[in-house]
Amino acid sequence: MTRKHVLEGVKVLDFSHFVAGPHCTRLMAEAGAEVIKVEAQMGEAARHLPVLKDERSGYFIQHNRGKKSLSLDLRTKEAQDICHELIKTVDVVIENFTPGVMKKFNLDWEAVSKVNPDVIMCSISCLGQEGPLSKLPGFDYIGQAYSGILGMTGAADGYPALSGMAFGDISTGAHAYGAIVTALYHKAMGGGGQFLDIALLDCLFSYHEMNVQVYDASGGAQVPQRSGHQHAFIAPLGLFKCKEDYLIIVALGAQWNNLLKLLGKEEWLEDPRFATPLTRNEHRDAITVEIERWLSTVSDVTEAVRILVEENHVPAAPILSVPEVMEHPHMKQRGIVQTVNDRAFGDVKIPGAPLRYSQYPERLELQASFLGEHNEEILREQLGYSEEKIAELNAAGVLSQKNI
Amino acid sequence: MAPQSMFEGIKVIDFSHYVAGPHCTKMLAEHGAEVIKIEPLTGDPARMLPMHKEGRSAFYVQHNLAKKSLSLDLAQPEAQKICHDLIRNADVVVENFTPGVMKRHNMDWETLKAINPNLVMCSISCFGQDGPLAQLPGYDFIGQAYAGILDLNGEPDRTPVFADLTFGDVSSGTHAYAAIVAALFHRFRGGEGQHLDLCLQEILFSYHDMNVQLHDASGGTYIPKRSGATHNVAAPAGIFKCGERYLFIIALGAQWENLAKTIDREDLLSDPRFADLAARGLNKDALNGIVQSWLDTIGDPDTALKILENAHIPCAPLLTVPEVMEHPHTKARNMLRTIVDPVWGELKIPRTPLRFSAFPDIPEQTASYVGEHNQEILSEILGYSNEDIDALETQGVINSIRS
Repeated sequence: MTRKHVLEGVKVLDFSHFVAGPHCTRLMAEAGAEVIKVEAQMGEAARHLPVLKDERSGYFIQHNRGKKSLSLDLRTKEAQDICHELIKTVDVVIENFTPGVMKKFNLDWEAVSKVNPDVIMCSISCLGQEGPLSKLPGFDYIGQAYSGILGMTGAADGYPALSGMAFGDISTGAHAYGAIVTALYHKAMGGGGQFLDIALLDCLFSYHEMNVQVYDASGGAQVPQRSGHQHAFIAPLGLFKCKEDYLIIVALGAQWNNLLKLLGKEEWLEDPRFATPLTRNEHRDAITVEIERWLSTVSDVTEAVRILVEENHVPAAPILSVPEVMEHPHMKQRGIVQTVNDRAFGDVKIPGAPLRYSQYPERLELQASFLGEHNEEILREQLGYSEEKIAELNAAGVLSQKNI
Repeated sequence: MAPQSMFEGIKVIDFSHYVAGPHCTKMLAEHGAEVIKIEPLTGDPARMLPMHKEGRSAFYVQHNLAKKSLSLDLAQPEAQKICHDLIRNADVVVENFTPGVMKRHNMDWETLKAINPNLVMCSISCFGQDGPLAQLPGYDFIGQAYAGILDLNGEPDRTPVFADLTFGDVSSGTHAYAAIVAALFHRFRGGEGQHLDLCLQEILFSYHDMNVQLHDASGGTYIPKRSGATHNVAAPAGIFKCGERYLFIIALGAQWENLAKTIDREDLLSDPRFADLAARGLNKDALNGIVQSWLDTIGDPDTALKILENAHIPCAPLLTVPEVMEHPHTKARNMLRTIVDPVWGELKIPRTPLRFSAFPDIPEQTASYVGEHNQEILSEILGYSNEDIDALETQGVINSIRS
């Protein structure tokens, strides 16, 4: 069985842009699928996000390696006909427009499933395909606000805080990937095509591994709220300062006993104030005083983490900046930072996709396409268009091509 | 003939505990796989997490629907033999111990591959199966610290903050689910079994949609930093206050022009400080201040949201968890799943976010007691006699607890 990766032979038509959809098709392309990215005439919006080098976007490269580019004006009948012809030949269609846009292009599930009943179509949106909020313009942070996550981040008495990356978008892309491979497997087992409705809001809301259940099961008594740099319900679980740096300490179960030994507070093992995680939380200030007292005796955060983790088996970690993560020996040994050599941009570092298959330990060498780079190849080789027909489409402005 | 569920006939042996692994196998179970959860004699430690009712953990229930429970002392050879016998006819093994623990129990990939070469085994850990940090005890927040995520939450001159939810654990469970299904699909098309090595820290690091590339491609001049309630580089973008409520508002590209017109400040469109995205980012404090002033004049958050929504400007109220649970959109989309637990009765949990048109409903499911299916699994699947099973109980290889 020689296959270059687990999804080799799977054909994908990708109408997505920005992050959530492109991350999904990135995972598919990195697993060997053949992805055709249909882009607007200007190129998708992410092609214009920084860092730009001679108009080539490092941001676009990160999320779009290994996809062929077909640039089409989807408002035209000709472009829609091309898409319908391609849909007949593919296994999967993906899009992440605001609900309703695909219908305007004659590319909604009803139209797509008529053209190819065996196709799997995945729509990714911020707030889902139906419901009162579905038509609102969506961003990662909008999903975070409506899922109750944004309101839970920050000091109790101050403004909530934005996190500095798109964990909603990227992880929703991974959910979409999971749903698509499930539907592919189901189809291979004799099931048909189907439609997948994946929303950032649903994914983000599912990240409440505890809050929804605790609120409901406590009869509304336990209301999840933001609690700054300490966990609201569990202590000690939070951030502490050591000299000029921060570290996080999580000491639950037996690790609480280990921490007390390190702090020289073994008498607390018998103290009813600290008998259970809940009572410890009520007396968290006393615990914090002792932890800070100990930290003030340690030379720096690296040494504090070493003593906690290696000598005392108390889970702890330094709060690393992104550059520190990129330089960390663990990340280097695991190859977590991937260096991509782009034809136009040169070398650029990106986070490697986190799915590791033992049969395919090496990442595929993939390039991000220029805008419309594969227009002719796709139309000629996959749809059998003549040179004249392609020239006509170019002249009519249905296609576009630019080396960005 | 089309299968009755997407994973009809797929057998999973699940050694996982707490959240990341159990979330993965919960998703497999929801889509039709038969999951046998191997628990220590005292049960998965998640059974100790709140809320509790008569010793029954609602936390455990949320993450362990529809799995059969077989409680085993994995240190004993008889328990290992039972696992090997089950794995011989299984499709998937999932575990999330610290690397090395499965080997100690004779359950590492080398051993299991020899027993069943078609097996798909997924190991989920905090730092991965190798590398200098691999042996460290791991939690979601530890992974977030090592992924450079915690550093980016909060006010620039203050201690970083975090949200009390383990998005790393849950979303790692989903990544594992996706990798497992991709490997099953591969196997169905003639490929062999394989081992999947997934870790929280790497998954969390992949959430940097921009920071890694920006830092690298800027030659190190751009260093991602936490910036409190507003976005670090784009403006207007951030959390604002209107009356007693916080609102998130972002207006980039054409939406910026909409916003200037909507707040009656078309003069800003010709202001050189706000000429393009880069200029607006450099003058973000001034620009965000103008947006805040407008909100102050409106005063009522519902009114402000209505005005912004009508102008197609992305915005949202920052909801609390109870507000999300009561929201009409949450209800219209059935985002809350109500399960009926034998101890708890009705219990609300978030619905798993994969929605399949061919299988729109998630089956009714409950979570098991510790060792609830010992008898059934040992006698029906492995053919043990009642005497054999009694002997295992006497030796302390298996047990059961009604919680």
